[in-house]
Amino acid sequence: MKKGSFGHYLLMRVLLSIPMLLILLTLVFVLLHAAPGDPVTATLGSRLPPDQIAARKEALGLNDPIYIQYFRYIGHALEGDFGHPITDSRSVGQIIEDTAPATLELVIAAMIVAVLVGISVGALAARLRDTAFDLGGRFFGILIYATPLFWSALLAQLYLSADLHWLPSSGRIGGFYVPEHITGFYTIDSILTGNWPALWSTLSHLALPAITLGLLVGGVFVRLVRVNMLQTLRSDYIDAARARGISERSVVYRHAFKNALIPVITIMGLQFALLIGNATLSETVFSWPGMARALVLFIGARDYAAVQGIVTFIALAIVVLSLLIDVINALIDPRVRY
Amino acid sequence: MSDSTLSKQAETASGYGYFRARMRHYAKPFRQASRTSRWLVFAGLGILIFFTLVAAVGPELYGFGATQYRVETAPGQFQQIPQLAPPSATHPMGTTRDGFDVMARVIGGAKLALIVMGLAVSVAMLIGVSLGLASGYRGGPIDRILVTVMDSVYAFPPLVLAIIISFILGAFISPGVFSAAFAVGVVYIPQYFRVVRNQTLAVKQETFVEAAQSLGAKSRSILTRYVFFNVVHTVPVLLTLNAADAILTLAALGFLGYGVQPPTPEWGYDISQAITDVSSGIWWTAFWPGVAIVTLVTGITLVGEGVNDVVNPLLRARGASGPRLPRRQKKPRKGADVEDDSYAVSVRDLRVGYRTPKRPLWAVDGVDFDIRYGESLGLVGESGCGKSTLGRALMQLLAPGCRAYGSVRLGGEELIGQSERRLRQKRGDDVAMIFQEPMTRLNPLMRIGDHFVEMIRTHRSKISRKQARAMARDVLSQMGVPPSRIDNYAHELSGGMRQRVMIALGIVLNPKLLIADEPTTSLDVIVESQILDTIAALLGNKSAGLLMITHNLGIVAETCDRVAVMYAGRIVESGPVDAIFNDPKHPYTRGLLASTVSLETTTLHSIPGYPPDLLDPPSGCRFAERCPYAMAHCTEADPALTDVGPSQSAACFLYPGAGQDVPAGLTPPSGNPQVVGI
Repeated sequence: MKKGSFGHYLLMRVLLSIPMLLILLTLVFVLLHAAPGDPVTATLGSRLPPDQIAARKEALGLNDPIYIQYFRYIGHALEGDFGHPITDSRSVGQIIEDTAPATLELVIAAMIVAVLVGISVGALAARLRDTAFDLGGRFFGILIYATPLFWSALLAQLYLSADLHWLPSSGRIGGFYVPEHITGFYTIDSILTGNWPALWSTLSHLALPAITLGLLVGGVFVRLVRVNMLQTLRSDYIDAARARGISERSVVYRHAFKNALIPVITIMGLQFALLIGNATLSETVFSWPGMARALVLFIGARDYAAVQGIVTFIALAIVVLSLLIDVINALIDPRVRY
Repeated sequence: MSDSTLSKQAETASGYGYFRARMRHYAKPFRQASRTSRWLVFAGLGILIFFTLVAAVGPELYGFGATQYRVETAPGQFQQIPQLAPPSATHPMGTTRDGFDVMARVIGGAKLALIVMGLAVSVAMLIGVSLGLASGYRGGPIDRILVTVMDSVYAFPPLVLAIIISFILGAFISPGVFSAAFAVGVVYIPQYFRVVRNQTLAVKQETFVEAAQSLGAKSRSILTRYVFFNVVHTVPVLLTLNAADAILTLAALGFLGYGVQPPTPEWGYDISQAITDVSSGIWWTAFWPGVAIVTLVTGITLVGEGVNDVVNPLLRARGASGPRLPRRQKKPRKGADVEDDSYAVSVRDLRVGYRTPKRPLWAVDGVDFDIRYGESLGLVGESGCGKSTLGRALMQLLAPGCRAYGSVRLGGEELIGQSERRLRQKRGDDVAMIFQEPMTRLNPLMRIGDHFVEMIRTHRSKISRKQARAMARDVLSQMGVPPSRIDNYAHELSGGMRQRVMIALGIVLNPKLLIADEPTTSLDVIVESQILDTIAALLGNKSAGLLMITHNLGIVAETCDRVAVMYAGRIVESGPVDAIFNDPKHPYTRGLLASTVSLETTTLHSIPGYPPDLLDPPSGCRFAERCPYAMAHCTEADPALTDVGPSQSAACFLYPGAGQDVPAGLTPPSGNPQVVGI
């Protein structure tokens, strides 16, 4: 394959993500095996007689030497087998299948809010530098960042749902409307089946969690886009474009904007991690039946096996995500491929 | 060297002086920072100090304890504190479901938050910095593994990581301040690691470290010291960012139930306990802890923003501080001397001022010159003499806080005071500029052809895309760039090729004036002469004038018809190239010529001293201080440009007509200074 071609870049990038994946998985394994005792005793120790515990341990392979457990874990993870919880009859894979679409739907909706707010406010603030709008935008960014998500979510829930009855306060959809299961994303499923009441119910349930979560990350984007735009607007090629008589509008939106957004895309990838982390709070406040809430509940039950399975899945998702972001970057920026 | 520099050096020699100088060095960016940035830091610090005071003395001074649910009315007699009492005189923020005083809990929460914040950030910094130093110093496979581990940790959702760490720590120790701080802080380790490791790696490759090692010095201590000075600007910003984040993470952990052991007062935990109150209309139990979090985090972030503004000069407010520049005459001045448009450009009494904190700096201070069509004028002078500012003023492309006065007539049309809209029509169409560094002047995300199409269609809306591309191909091949390169990106071209593209962009619309600002400085000699030939050939059809800005007299000799020598914002001598090179009149021109290296050079001459400070220019001749011929009145009166030969003029009292009589017995120097010496 030709060096510098997109295919070559893709291949190198995929090869590079293998060590990252292995190290992440190893970290997860080490972390979750660092605690003394075994997961079965930790979870069920006080509730089951010793012989049953021993049987469970044998069944889960916990009596094998640690390195065998390690290799088995890595092998299973790479096959997409995330193990079995101790406190739930479903497999972790099944739980993820049930809950991941809810989390993804929330996170993507929040990301859309964040990108819309962040890019428009950030770019405008940079263009109107040192005006009231710029200062207001900066302060808005700081304030949004400083507000704990669970607190603003709680206040929004209290005011917009309990007081004004504008939006539902919890859950993912009204109980009667659940659309036929195709992708697990209620928005997509209801559109595919033409089920408009279900779509309306889904969107109204999605609004509060997505906006509160999205604004939080949007605050980060506002700053980021502003700073990048300011730096780009000072660059030599912008100066040269102005010297050619290009209109200020074109200079800002054609020349500066695209260049300023490249680093933002990279950081957007990292912000997905922030979104997934903060989804634990959103899902808890809004009783959103997602994966982050499932993780919190399993941690509450001290179910090591389930926690390990879900965290492994998150690790895999992150590797895939960072790969995706880099690929998008390479598609936009011709310099990256070299 | 001036007295003040000397005394500064003397001061730095002593220990205390050294300390003061260092402090001044670090305080300098702060003093230079904009008022907004300073205000941010002060407001943030105010909030931070307030919270620290509250946390330190609040629990002692306030009447209720954070976990106190009854008061002792008489010895042995206890009375329960009312539950969920609204804010009142006794309980300014109300009470909780457990009968705790909300204000006492908020105060207690402040203490915990600040302690955990401090511990978390210190732990992260300590581990991150030492791992970074070790990893960067050692290198090899350990370094590679550590880097991947850190990258992986950094990519992991921070809150999920904190939850898992606190979950695992829960198996070892009961939840408390230390486990919370560790869970919160682990997330930040990779950031410090990355900064310090990269610096260590960079410093390790410096030759002075190798040199010190070979001399048997303790390389490790050298390394640490240099790394310290290099990261000392980054780490404070990281610190404040992480401190703000630590407060939020601790609260989030508490809210989810993985913080410290209840009923220790903790803001996030208190809010989670208040969820049920909120739905029954009781707002105060959830409201106040939230307000505390928002205020403290805002305070820390303000400090961080301010510090960032201070250490990152790119983000500083634009240089528009200090007294305003004088207003300009409203109407463009009618050209006094030049009415006809036989000149490509005609400049009269051009002054360009920059706003600076105390008084305006006049980078160009009263300049006159004309360039005919087909003529090229070389503008030479030392760096900082104002020649680039002059070039930019000719297209009115000035930095913010900078303004031009006087008259610039481009093809007969006045530009000074012209509307921005009209100026934009002129730029690129009637006047074009070729810049110093072709490497960074093309948009990296645009193909070469798109630069042409955009520019042509901006100025000639009737030309189609296809026609514009055809024009681009033509002009590129005229410049010696294969037309097939039209679909390349800038990074796919060499430096010389890019400069040809820039010139092609400059001439594609046949401008009246071409300004070349040091166009070959970043190119090698062979490419330089090719580019200069190309530029010189452009003038053949007499449709444009050329202003060649350079400090290189060789370039002027090669490409220009006339020369203007600039010194400290003024033109001190101008005339035909032959006359200036063979018989320079102004002592500065003579010095400049004598200090160039040529094949005949026997001794290398340099002009002693430095150009004057343009913020405070001397009252007389600006060159007097360095002039070997300076006379008494040179420091008192300002010489005007006067004719000193056929179409040659100089601003010097050595020649009659400059305003003073030449003293008897003094013969003005003449001849080639490189041959005769000055």
